[in-house]
Amino acid sequence: MNTKIICTLVKKEMLDVFRDKKTVIMMLVVPIILYPLIFIGVMQLMTFISSSMEEQNYKIAVEAEDDGRFLHKLEEFRRDSQAKGEQTEESQSYEITLIDADSITDYETALNEEEIDVYVSGQMEDGKIQYDVYYLSSVENSAYAANLVKEVCDGLKEDMTRQMIAEEGMDAEAILEPIHYEKQDIASSEQSIGSIMGSILPFMLIVSLLMGTMYPAIDTTAGERERGTLETILTLPVTNRQLIVSKFITVAVIGIASALLNIASMGAITLYMYKMLDMQTEMNSFNLAKFVPAILVCMLAIFAFSLFISAVAMCVTSFAKSYKEANNYITPLMLVVMFVGYIGFIPNVELTQTVAMIPVANICLLIKNMLLFKVEYASIAVVLLSNVAYAVLAILFLSRIYDSEAILFSDGKAGLQLFEKRENLKKGGVPTVSDVWFVVAFTILLILYVGSMLQVKFGLAGVFGTQMILLFVPLFLVVYTKRDIRQTYGFARAKVSGYLGGALMMIGIVLINFVLAAGLMSLFPESTSNVETAFANIFGDNVLAVFMVVAIAPAVCEEMLFRGVIMHSLKAKYKVSSAIAITAVLFGLYHMSLVKFIPTGLLGLILCIVVWKTGSIYPAMIMHFINNAISIIITYYPEQVEKVLPILGKSNFTAVDVLCLCAAGGIFAASGALVLYKAKSAAK
Amino acid sequence: MIIADNLVKTFTKNEKKNKKSDFNAVDGISLNVKEGEIVGILGPNGAGKTTLLRMMSKLMNPTSGMVSIRINDEEISDDIEVKRHIGYLSNNTKLYGRLSTRELLQMLGVIYGISEEDTKRRIDEISQVLTMDSFIDNRIEKLSTGQTQRASIARCLVHDPQVYIFDEPTLGLDIISSAAIVDFMKGERERGKTVLYSTHYMEEAEYLCDRIIMIHRGRIIGEGTPEELRMQTGHDSLRDIFAGLIAENGGLESDMSDLGKGAAGKRRARR
Repeated sequence: MNTKIICTLVKKEMLDVFRDKKTVIMMLVVPIILYPLIFIGVMQLMTFISSSMEEQNYKIAVEAEDDGRFLHKLEEFRRDSQAKGEQTEESQSYEITLIDADSITDYETALNEEEIDVYVSGQMEDGKIQYDVYYLSSVENSAYAANLVKEVCDGLKEDMTRQMIAEEGMDAEAILEPIHYEKQDIASSEQSIGSIMGSILPFMLIVSLLMGTMYPAIDTTAGERERGTLETILTLPVTNRQLIVSKFITVAVIGIASALLNIASMGAITLYMYKMLDMQTEMNSFNLAKFVPAILVCMLAIFAFSLFISAVAMCVTSFAKSYKEANNYITPLMLVVMFVGYIGFIPNVELTQTVAMIPVANICLLIKNMLLFKVEYASIAVVLLSNVAYAVLAILFLSRIYDSEAILFSDGKAGLQLFEKRENLKKGGVPTVSDVWFVVAFTILLILYVGSMLQVKFGLAGVFGTQMILLFVPLFLVVYTKRDIRQTYGFARAKVSGYLGGALMMIGIVLINFVLAAGLMSLFPESTSNVETAFANIFGDNVLAVFMVVAIAPAVCEEMLFRGVIMHSLKAKYKVSSAIAITAVLFGLYHMSLVKFIPTGLLGLILCIVVWKTGSIYPAMIMHFINNAISIIITYYPEQVEKVLPILGKSNFTAVDVLCLCAAGGIFAASGALVLYKAKSAAK
Repeated sequence: MIIADNLVKTFTKNEKKNKKSDFNAVDGISLNVKEGEIVGILGPNGAGKTTLLRMMSKLMNPTSGMVSIRINDEEISDDIEVKRHIGYLSNNTKLYGRLSTRELLQMLGVIYGISEEDTKRRIDEISQVLTMDSFIDNRIEKLSTGQTQRASIARCLVHDPQVYIFDEPTLGLDIISSAAIVDFMKGERERGKTVLYSTHYMEEAEYLCDRIIMIHRGRIIGEGTPEELRMQTGHDSLRDIFAGLIAENGGLESDMSDLGKGAAGKRRARR
């Protein structure tokens, strides 16, 4: 490869990119101006809040027959807080205005009209005092005042208790506080700063790298095509590889530069903040030298990741014909990267050898671990090398794109119709593949964030909510882009033979999946036991509700997404076989478990074939329902199942069992397939 | 001299699902253009002119057939080497708006492997010939249409190529700008260069071309000097010759569907 040519090309790309205001702004303004601005804004907000707290004035009405003890204690509290307020500037001091209780006829109206914040009435009986505190929980000031009253009462209680114990001639201190408890943080200041940085820095870094590479990536690929200079550069005596390498170097270098700027800016802010905290809390000052290895590895990680993200971003944007379209393509990529990058915030995720192979996540965890001083040289190597390897793969893919005339000289029909004006869209047909990718990415993110939150909070109802997301978000796409609902979802009548064939195949696949699940269980024992206990924990004992949510809802919602929208849109663009394969893999991935991937993928495959052969989604829905129903029955009624089919109750299969199950499954599946194909050919 | 030997380009379309139909945008074209000769390609929209010229300038790989150039009896067919000797200009070869013409030409000099001094001399020369001195250091995006066109010509001149391939170079230009391009082609012919170009303007072709090649649906339907074409067809004006030849070869009407596709392909390329 001729370095002189590449240098010239890189120089050209650099000039071209840097003379674009948008890129320069993204690179410089965000780190140099925006971060400090945000920081200053947050500081201002904090001082504003604390200053508004200072001016708090509580209006308290007291009507207590307690020999004035309450008022006395309240006065004590106020004096204490004022004394404290003078010592340290920032603690919240407050004013108390005592309202004459006689002037209030009805405490309820007085509270409601905010004449008073809290009303205290007290009665003494046999040396005990009963305080009734009236306040409005809906009014912030009133709630604070009620808290204050509680503190006063607690203080009063302690005073009285001590007094009584002392009167009995005992040691009040020993009785009331037999246990002393004090926390001592022995983490070095380096460790504590590392743990703060470790959770935020990787995410910020990844996002800033993506932001930094995004615009040059779009500019050098889609931008070049939009401006019509692509054909010009193709007339030059340079090879595609030289072209791509130079573009790649440009994007990666700009990405690294912008990431470094980002880090410098964030680092400066963090140090400044730490210094300020330092002065207040009198923590030990920390030694920057201890961070040198972490910083070095971080630099390497940034370098490797920028190679990776540049190549991936360029792959994505190369398909776009215009800046705008490329932006649309980058958005899902960004969401995915941000989601995976989020892993740095999750505690207790370890950087195992497997995780070290997962792009984005591996970089996050590596940087986090480095900042926590948990170093494993083997995983450092794996992370860095895997990033470089992925980058190389992406570049090879990119050079295929640049070799493909179909893409280089193709028309502008990109297919993202979601962002076009609705009146410009034609009715009918199925959604475009790009639309579907975009919506699927969005849906999956929704499920991951909103869905998992719902599930944690509402259990079974949350699972149902997740299914609704799965149903309605793609449905919105279909309706919005005016697609044909029948065609997109395959709402068509199926013959009896279709249902029969489907059912037979289903039984076959259920049997084979038993063997697979058992095999995988023995390979990954820890993951499966978790799944099963979680199943029972979340879903509880209401079998009917579980049926609704775990069997019926997925049969409808998941089918409509996978076998409906995804499969039909793919089928319209690609060959049937690849459409089915992609849908099946997606269906497997959607279950988000290594163990489940193969069985669910296989299930997806069968369901796809049934939809394809019958031309209807209904048999697949029923099959899906049966499959899920079977697993519910096995989970909830293990004894009964064992009685009917003893083989299913076994935890360890012998070779004979495996053979029997597989053979039975194979026979069922094959006969089902036969029925389907026969019906199809008969129809012809 | 540039030689095309039995060029075929097949495009696969999959407009309807699972049905892929192949059609040949260029269907077995052989031609050659000698030194000091201007050859014009005429043809209706979608005839395959752009595809042919793209293959001849090595932007596209032919499905079958070969393109080579011959300089001093040396035959060159390697893609990169051929590109070194070709100056290609079309409506799609836009320039980098954020660079100045001089910066662009300097970089091209390095890529074409010309020494720094030679590049400098060459740029001064071109700038004088095309009267670009006043704007050669301005960013290209700031230039007027006529100035941009001159900068484009300068772009394909910088390596002093032996062969020029122009795809509708005068399309949509005003009289002065297109006259400048016509004059330029004539000048290069005087200097013994090889020029192959496509156009829609009959008068221009008749005035400029030593030979005319008419293509329709990817095939050559007529070839020769304007005189020879008149003799062959019995028509007097080039316009009538053109219409007559197309009518003889199936006409436009019978094949509107194919034409539409071709034209769509062209529209695509414009973007």
